[in-house]
Amino acid sequence: MPHLEINGKPVEVPAGTNLIEAARRLNIEIPHYCYHPGLAVVGSCRMCQVEVELNGRKSIVVGCNTAAADGMKVFNNTEAIHRIRSGVLEFYLQHHPLDCPICDDAGECDLQNYYLLHGLHDSRVELTEKHHKHKVHDVGPTVVLDSERCVLCSRCARFCREIAGVDELGIFEHGGDSELLNVPGRLLENDYAGNVVDLCPVGALTDKDFRFRRRVWYLKRTPSVCTGCSRGCNIYVDWETSRSYKNPQRRIQRLKPRYNRGVNEWWICDRGRYGYHAVDAENRLTAPRTKSDGESEATVDGVLDRAAEKIKAALAKHGPKSVAVIASSSSSNEDLFLLKRLFADELKVHSLDVTLSGEPKGKEDEILMKADVSPNRRGAVEIGVQPWGGGGVAGDDIVASALDGDYEVLIVVHHDLTRMLSQKERNRLGQNCDYILYLGTHENGMCHLADDVIPIAMWAERDATYTNFQGRVQRTWRPFEPRGEALCEWRVWQELGKRLGHSLPAESVAGVFDSIGTVVASFKGLTWEGLPANGIMLTGVSEPAYRKVQSSHPLPAY
Amino acid sequence: MTSSNGTRLLSRNFALPGQANLDTALKRGAYEMLKRALKMKPEEVTTVVKASGLRGHGGAGFSAGMKWGFVPKDVFPRYVCVNADESEPGTCKDRLILEYDPHLLIEGALICAWAVQAERIYIYVRGEYFYPTRIVQRAIDEARAKGFVGENILGSGWSCHVHLGTGAGQYICGEETGLIESLEGKKGWPRLKPPFYPAAVGLWGKPTIVNNVETLAFVPRIIEIGAEKFLSYGTPKAGGPTLFSLSGSVNRPGVYELPTGVPLKTLIYDCGGGIKDGRRLKAVIPGGSSSHILTAEECENLKMDFESVVAAGSMLGSAAVMVIDETVSIPRLMVWMTRFYAHESCGQCTPCREGTGWLLRLATRILEGRGRRRDLDDLYELAENIDGKTICALGQAVAWPTKSYITKFRHEFEALIQE
Ligand SMILES: Cc1cc2nc3c(=O)[nH]c(=O)nc-3n(C[C@H](O)[C@H](O)[C@H](O)COP(=O)(O)O)c2cc1C
Ligand code: SF4
Ligand code: SF4
Ligand code: SF4
Repeated sequence: MPHLEINGKPVEVPAGTNLIEAARRLNIEIPHYCYHPGLAVVGSCRMCQVEVELNGRKSIVVGCNTAAADGMKVFNNTEAIHRIRSGVLEFYLQHHPLDCPICDDAGECDLQNYYLLHGLHDSRVELTEKHHKHKVHDVGPTVVLDSERCVLCSRCARFCREIAGVDELGIFEHGGDSELLNVPGRLLENDYAGNVVDLCPVGALTDKDFRFRRRVWYLKRTPSVCTGCSRGCNIYVDWETSRSYKNPQRRIQRLKPRYNRGVNEWWICDRGRYGYHAVDAENRLTAPRTKSDGESEATVDGVLDRAAEKIKAALAKHGPKSVAVIASSSSSNEDLFLLKRLFADELKVHSLDVTLSGEPKGKEDEILMKADVSPNRRGAVEIGVQPWGGGGVAGDDIVASALDGDYEVLIVVHHDLTRMLSQKERNRLGQNCDYILYLGTHENGMCHLADDVIPIAMWAERDATYTNFQGRVQRTWRPFEPRGEALCEWRVWQELGKRLGHSLPAESVAGVFDSIGTVVASFKGLTWEGLPANGIMLTGVSEPAYRKVQSSHPLPAY
Repeated sequence: MTSSNGTRLLSRNFALPGQANLDTALKRGAYEMLKRALKMKPEEVTTVVKASGLRGHGGAGFSAGMKWGFVPKDVFPRYVCVNADESEPGTCKDRLILEYDPHLLIEGALICAWAVQAERIYIYVRGEYFYPTRIVQRAIDEARAKGFVGENILGSGWSCHVHLGTGAGQYICGEETGLIESLEGKKGWPRLKPPFYPAAVGLWGKPTIVNNVETLAFVPRIIEIGAEKFLSYGTPKAGGPTLFSLSGSVNRPGVYELPTGVPLKTLIYDCGGGIKDGRRLKAVIPGGSSSHILTAEECENLKMDFESVVAAGSMLGSAAVMVIDETVSIPRLMVWMTRFYAHESCGQCTPCREGTGWLLRLATRILEGRGRRRDLDDLYELAENIDGKTICALGQAVAWPTKSYITKFRHEFEALIQE
């Protein structure tokens, strides 16, 4: 492990670490455009030049392509370095358009940032001398290019080739005519296209989904986890609610990947990136519904009271066999734990499962995306939300039995059974079940089939944990409250439990999580307070091997 | 062509008819030195070349034998790339070798390949060299048919294949790592250094010797006359003769083979027949467009070897000597030079991509009489901001001459600035 000094501060880094990463450990930023830790080193932006002294020999090197060495002294703040960077920056600005006031990147633009740090030149260029290139150029269905703002760092092109595995963008022509554009005949349309916008250090690539929506300095940022599939990529939710006149229906402005080496590295897929629209979609369920006669307006309490009565009556008349629960692996660990406690442990309901063969499936690849589009199937398995005991009935069989009229009460969470059934079967299900309770987030067929409907809070509206396919428990943080009367699923079970005479543990999500830790073997030792931001593996489950970042060549020894 | 007082070691067969044909060349001893080298141990060949003082004639003047010695042990396969991209303004000597004695080049490349135990040779010829390309291709085919190239060469058990590749018209593909990228089928963007030497990490990541055409063409002669004799044709630090490409205001421009270290005056006056129309000498660009300009006074006693030219404040480079008489405008020269580099910048790294065009704009403005007083200082400063800040040496290839033109001929620029 080489020991070195950066700006006089000592630091020790693993062998092979480059100077930009070594400085990062000291919270020292070595400016750069082309370098990205997830991509091959190309050394073309020339911003990361630093002074290096080793064995009495002084030189100026690029930080991205220089490995830290024992005894090395690195200077990031000398007059010479400042002058070099100032010179390089001026070259960038020569033909750069005066777009900041209308550029989406303003406020998070590295050209602006470094200009304040190392630039501040008086312009030596006449406006009429500026080159013009493509503006508002569609590179694909989701991303727009402004070539004049491009600093030709090639990050986007390298991402497509090295990570997404496709050649969709490239730098064409040469010299001052160089321009980043689509590879002829190709669009930027890979499943990870949105990442190029995150990678772009300037406002050259912008996301059609975010363009001209908000100045970035109005955004608030909350860490979270994507619930789009069982990988659970770590994300940031960038949201804003105070200036709601702009768009009252849209609280989330964009999602950005949050680095997690063991899960998603620096990336997320587009399915996850744009999936947030569901949170404030027009067909969100925001109030309870009922078919019950005589109620002009449904209330959550009224629905809960009636559900409790129906369950009580069914159990009294026909025993636990007359109640069935189709839970969901999209629910959080806490939701599923209380559900399991109430229905399996207390009420002894055997017809209990989360999995249906007709569930929607997504695309799967070798990069991030998993076919299982629910974020918590592993959690459901660990917690034991599945058919149990001698008389256990699995998901598909619960549906078949319900059609045959075997249940008095059927409780369904999230699943839209109507999409898996024919019109005839739908009618039969409605007729043959005495009482159907549906817990859901959006308007769908179940809302019409069920006798009662309770609106449920979505991932961005709650604190919760999910267990990804690797067995990593990860939590979300709530940026804002649930829409309308929607409530967290675990509260439904807690309230229902109370009405059925069973008090379930804890009043808070933290309390529920902590009790999982005392009951479920693989959660042993995990506490809400002790959850790291990047998640924690279940007890007895080992971290998966990390993917090695590709590089055009290994970092040479200095 | 070589003059009567030239040395004619490399070029001795240039003027003889039919030398590009194998049968004729064989009568004059072609491939005899390959036979001799194949009887030596590979390391012995490298040792001889090292002792001969042979330096690279592509521009950097690096010791050829030393370069061959950089090949790491036990890493195979290995390659040899012949740099025939010859595009530096003023340079026109490799073309003669390609056209007049291609078998000498192939023989030299084969001896190099034997010395470093390479299994393949790529001859990368400048895209615009249509005619030389045809000649070299025919020479390769002839040599292959006669067993000098290919499997089990001359029954030695050693095999080496020779391929020809062509550029698509970019100066930057003459930079050795740009050449390698281009050969790999990519855009000719020079590679980031370190790794510094293709000899360690080159074509497809494997050890690769990149040498200039002239450098390799000297190799059979070294085997023929021995290291010591070869060294005597040059200076103690740079053995053998050099092919000087003489152009500009001289009466007999052309390529002259002379001992390395020959006085510049001999080249200009004895070979070149002096300055055109009896004009006065103003300046000389001694080593291709990338080198610093030297004033007539600085040229007075100049000897044309690497060390002497560096001591005079320039470089020997590719030994392309451009003679500038009193009627030539240095600001015009500057526009010509910066236009070339602005056009040839590969565009990969920022200072060169953005800076070359900026230099051209300022230089043009001054030449057209629209210059401002500060433009001169700006030109210098912008050149300074490119110099040494880039991925490849093209950056300094434009920065050095720019700075030298302004420093040494400032008055000519100032005269054009009105305000
Ligand atoms: C911009 C640039 C252009 C070059 N062009 C050529 C060229 O056309 N021919 C050549 O032999 N070397 C050229 N070189 C030098 C090569 O990079 C390399 O040093 C040379 O081929 C090595 O061969 P040598 O040691 O035999 O000279 C160029 C270098 C630079 C930086
Ligand atoms: S990319 Fe940056 S510097 Fe350029 S217009 Fe946008 S905010 Fe301004
Ligand atoms: S578009 Fe952005 S990421 Fe792509 S090369 Fe230009 S500046 Fe870099
Ligand atoms: S210095 Fe110029 S030619 Fe060389 S890599 Fe950079 S942009 Fe390309």
